[in-house]
Amino acid sequence: MMGFGTYLRNIKDAVATIADGMAVTASHMIRKPVTLEYPDRLPDGVRVQDTLPFRYRGMLEVDLEICTACLACERACPIDCIVIEAEKDKAAGGLVMTRFDIDMAKCMYCGLCSEPCPTGSIHHTPEFEGADYSLESLVRRFVKAPTLAYKPKKAGEDDPVIKPILDRGMRYLAEFADPDAK
Amino acid sequence: MTEFPSMESLVHGLVESGVAPAGIPMWMHQLLAMLIFGGIVVFGFVLPIAGITTWVERRVMGRIQSRIGPNRVGPLGFLQWLADGVKNMLKEDIVPTAADGPLFRAAPYVVITGFVASFAAIPFAGNLIIADLNVGILYITAVTALVVVGILMAGWASNNKWSLLGGIRSAAQIVSYEIPAGLSIFPVVLLAGTLSMQGIIRAQGAAPWTWYLFDNPFTFIAFFVLFVSSLAEGNRTPFDLPEAESELVAGFATEYSGMRNLLFFMAEWGNLYVIGAIATTLFLGGWQIPWALDDHPVLRNALQFGVFFTKSYAFVVLAIWLRWTLPRIRVDQMMEMCWKYLVPIALVNFLGTATWMVLFPQGLAPVRWLLLLAAVVAIAAFVRRVAFHIRYARLERRHLSFNPLATARSPG
Amino acid sequence: MGLTGFEVEVQRQTDGGGFVTEDMTLSMGPQHPSTHGVLRFVVRADGEVMKEAIPDIGYLHRSIEKIAEKVGWHGFIPYTDRVDYVAAMFCNHGWAMAAEKLGGIEVPKRAEYCRVIADELCRIHSHLLSVGSMAMDIGAFTPFTHAIREREYLNDLFEELCGARLTFHYMRIGGVGWDLPPGWTDKVIHFLDRFEPIVDEYDRLISYNKIYAERLVNVAVITPEEAVDFNLVGPNLRGSGVSYDVRRDDPYSIYPELEFDVPIGRGEMGTLGDCFDRYIVRMREMRESCRILRQCLRQLPDGPVIARVPRTFKPPAGDCYVRLESARGDMGWYVVSDGTAFPYRCKIRTGSFAAISMTQHVSRDLMIADLIAVIASFDLVAPEIDR
Repeated sequence: MMGFGTYLRNIKDAVATIADGMAVTASHMIRKPVTLEYPDRLPDGVRVQDTLPFRYRGMLEVDLEICTACLACERACPIDCIVIEAEKDKAAGGLVMTRFDIDMAKCMYCGLCSEPCPTGSIHHTPEFEGADYSLESLVRRFVKAPTLAYKPKKAGEDDPVIKPILDRGMRYLAEFADPDAK
Repeated sequence: MTEFPSMESLVHGLVESGVAPAGIPMWMHQLLAMLIFGGIVVFGFVLPIAGITTWVERRVMGRIQSRIGPNRVGPLGFLQWLADGVKNMLKEDIVPTAADGPLFRAAPYVVITGFVASFAAIPFAGNLIIADLNVGILYITAVTALVVVGILMAGWASNNKWSLLGGIRSAAQIVSYEIPAGLSIFPVVLLAGTLSMQGIIRAQGAAPWTWYLFDNPFTFIAFFVLFVSSLAEGNRTPFDLPEAESELVAGFATEYSGMRNLLFFMAEWGNLYVIGAIATTLFLGGWQIPWALDDHPVLRNALQFGVFFTKSYAFVVLAIWLRWTLPRIRVDQMMEMCWKYLVPIALVNFLGTATWMVLFPQGLAPVRWLLLLAAVVAIAAFVRRVAFHIRYARLERRHLSFNPLATARSPG
Repeated sequence: MGLTGFEVEVQRQTDGGGFVTEDMTLSMGPQHPSTHGVLRFVVRADGEVMKEAIPDIGYLHRSIEKIAEKVGWHGFIPYTDRVDYVAAMFCNHGWAMAAEKLGGIEVPKRAEYCRVIADELCRIHSHLLSVGSMAMDIGAFTPFTHAIREREYLNDLFEELCGARLTFHYMRIGGVGWDLPPGWTDKVIHFLDRFEPIVDEYDRLISYNKIYAERLVNVAVITPEEAVDFNLVGPNLRGSGVSYDVRRDDPYSIYPELEFDVPIGRGEMGTLGDCFDRYIVRMREMRESCRILRQCLRQLPDGPVIARVPRTFKPPAGDCYVRLESARGDMGWYVVSDGTAFPYRCKIRTGSFAAISMTQHVSRDLMIADLIAVIASFDLVAPEIDR
């Protein structure tokens, strides 16, 4: 049998804790909500993709201008979603790529392909809106016509078209941990 | 018993002025007037209220949870409930093959009947009531108990063990909590001397110190007992075991889809208003306004309606606030609370009020003022506690917004 | 076999008046709003009171341990994220530690600090989800949204650090993948300043609420001896009063240099080892993690964040067992190498697996509503159980 003191204490505890809980929720009612209204209620002209950090691992993009066809990304991918076909072509002057397909349906956005890339050609973008209606459309084919692979120049790149792309790629690679850092 | 101005006098006036056709017997006029007024009330007030309460609930819920509620359909999401209603009507009506067909189909109608029928005796203003029964409050209590039958039918006929559990829990809950609710109504009936809703309101006044809430300490506590019991009868958190979302998906309503599902939940949300109306009538002075306004019946009724609606809707918001603060009570704890706590307290209130009436036939003015003062002090302490929480979370003025429809980007 | 999928012995009882009743078999799951992940319980109940709740696992089995043998040492790290996606940093850390032990690689100091910072942030992340879902299962939806709101701030921090919000792939064999971005430590401190009062507010809103306490107190009491016998770990073990934490008792990484307390259950609201104790231990662990984070950020040294590890990593043949204190307790990694670029075998021991086996033992004479509370208090996550 419950003592009368316990009985009254139960009532008092119930009222006190419920009132305190209601005070907390009341304090929330007068706080501003924290909702970020995506996608069309952001400040004008700002896309969510622009607000994401530089390291964000969204959908993969390949800058074919600086791809050296070293196949490091194809070897690194644990799911084998990258398929590259490149052949040595003496007449063209190097490796010629005929196929660079990434199956985005398989990709798990781990970033293992972007780490070994020597020029930062394959990288993650802040793009995440990739939903589509058919599975076939999710295979991104980056090679439209047979392309000559890029050869990094020892003295640095001076081509005004390629240089910014290479700079961005190297900046992407610089984010990764460096065993020789101080 | 004096004849209060009511539907009957309105009907008489209409017949005498020639608006209503003359060849029909008076009782038929009365019946038609009641049906027409009932129809206006149901389709013009009850169903929209049930719908709009969902909008209010979702927006209040949103603010409590640091987010906005619906804001897409219509301005500020106001048409969300219409969209939900239309969606439910267009959905496929699934009846499980193994379910008990007639019972399964009939259950939502029983529940909604129990809910809508209570509006026959709920006052809206001095002259606006469908039927001022002289057993008003008893009628309402009796008719709202009809939902138990409907819920049991739904739980059993669904042929689903989880629905059955929900139905049984609900039956136990509603039937048990009828007792403290009824016992809490008795003190007021003793004080007013009548069961009629309008009669109880007229026995109070417009000023807070004339309300039954502050009449004596026993009615003060009876008010809280009534509110808690009404929440339990309405299946609202913390008593929402019958439809405990995280345990039974939707309890007794799991197998229902489309319009049948909508009827269940409309009954629940609309019931909040009924709870508010009963509490307002019995304890908060109903629609009483400070001015007599005998010469302006339309204005008088409009003001009274406004007052009554505001007071009732305050209870709806309070119930929503409680729902989104408190967790759920377990079945055995709920039964324990009813039988070991609420029923004894309600009995003590009943006897106490009777004793009080014998000792102080006109009531005791200092006690009334003391109770009113206690309520004001409690509210002030609560507001101070809210301010403490805001300070403790290290919030600044720019994080706050007193605008109930604010968004993250609106000016504070 | 019937509807349950396995044999459940249904009992019939006859009472004094000759009235025969039969137990009810309910199947809770695999789709259910409150089992944490894809779990299934077959409940044999007499009305509301359960006789037995038998767990049925395997709905989320993805053969992750077998996949390790196919993708190689470096390639497996993203898969470890998926072993327990609620607390992914710990799984990354476990695999990296095992590979480093096998390969004899020494991790730079700054990398260890980065790892501990990531671990402790992930612990807060995981415990927030745990206490939030527990509150939601008991019926209070608001604390869940508040916990998720705080998790969003943590998600933003993780996004800046490693680019992902759930499957981090932050750690590498030999260190971590990225150094802390500039300005990130200030953001973490800003988050901690915001977060510590919120934990107290959470306590006031729900932890000591009479209704909530009544639901959890004296439910599923597990004595310290039982907890050790049944192999419980982490907050489940500490909630029963056994003071054992891998960070303190079998330290790894830089935990010997850090000062922190290990909260244990004390039966303050009911019996020692009930659901409330397990819950309150998680709340207190969040505060301790904040303390650890502040120390780490103060003591952070300079230097590289990764050791030099060959792209084709071939540790010498052998096996090793490493353990770390994950959010759900002692997580053990037993890895066997045969000298090639692909591991020979990997076995992961997780805390939730032992906890779910405890559910059957503990569920006798509980009510169905209590079963929900028990599952939530054990902090079961299905991916960890099934792997």
